[in-house]
Amino acid sequence: MSTFRKSQNQANPNKLNVILSTLIFVLILNVSIQIWLLYAALNNALDNNKEILIPAFIGSLILFLIGFGWLYYLPKGNFRNNKT
Amino acid sequence: MSKEDNLKENWKKDFPYKKQESTQVSRRDFAKFLTLVSGGLMVGSGLVAAKAYLLPADEVVGEHFVCDVKDIPLGGTRGFVIEGSSIPYILVHLESGMFRAFEQKCTHLSCAVYYKPGTGIIHCPCHEGSFDALTGDVIAGPPPRALPQLEVVLKGEKIFVKAFENKAS
Repeated sequence: MSTFRKSQNQANPNKLNVILSTLIFVLILNVSIQIWLLYAALNNALDNNKEILIPAFIGSLILFLIGFGWLYYLPKGNFRNNKT
Repeated sequence: MSKEDNLKENWKKDFPYKKQESTQVSRRDFAKFLTLVSGGLMVGSGLVAAKAYLLPADEVVGEHFVCDVKDIPLGGTRGFVIEGSSIPYILVHLESGMFRAFEQKCTHLSCAVYYKPGTGIIHCPCHEGSFDALTGDVIAGPPPRALPQLEVVLKGEKIFVKAFENKAS
């Protein structure tokens, strides 16, 4: 098995820090947009404007899927798998 | 990793030896938690849409008698409830002579609103919200939406209300 990734991580240990920070930043951004969408959807539902509700839900779903897929890039850490 | 080793690792993760390990939340866990919150908000949006489409709010059906014109002086108001419903409404006799009926619940946090005689403003005392007594639109304060309105129908000396139809649309 290639040791490329392992040696890269050992050579640049700060890289994972940046990746993780960026990941969390994007997740917070997604959640903020979702809060805004939910607030807008609630207000419009109470005002009997139904046309915005489905697009808001679809937008929220897409943002969740982006965030969920984003977790694939969650780094495992530099030294966690060194034992094997 | 064998099954036994795996069990040992999980045991250590759930009940760590050091206090710091048991209290700190790693950024990795925080990222997963944010995704969980994201999923919750997505489900919330779905529920709002489902509720609006599957269980729409009951509309006022037919015309309902409120009171006689002489019962309500110029600039006066009268609270009423439609039969079979618990929503409080107020009937306002504006200084211009027109009648308007609105839900008495502020659209901000459902405080009871009242008409300020002589000003043309319906006021919410909780957070200083103001509505236009002619249209129900928000003039000032935190309310996010206009007051829901009923249409007032005059039949001789009797005042009736019915569901509001938006004439603009």
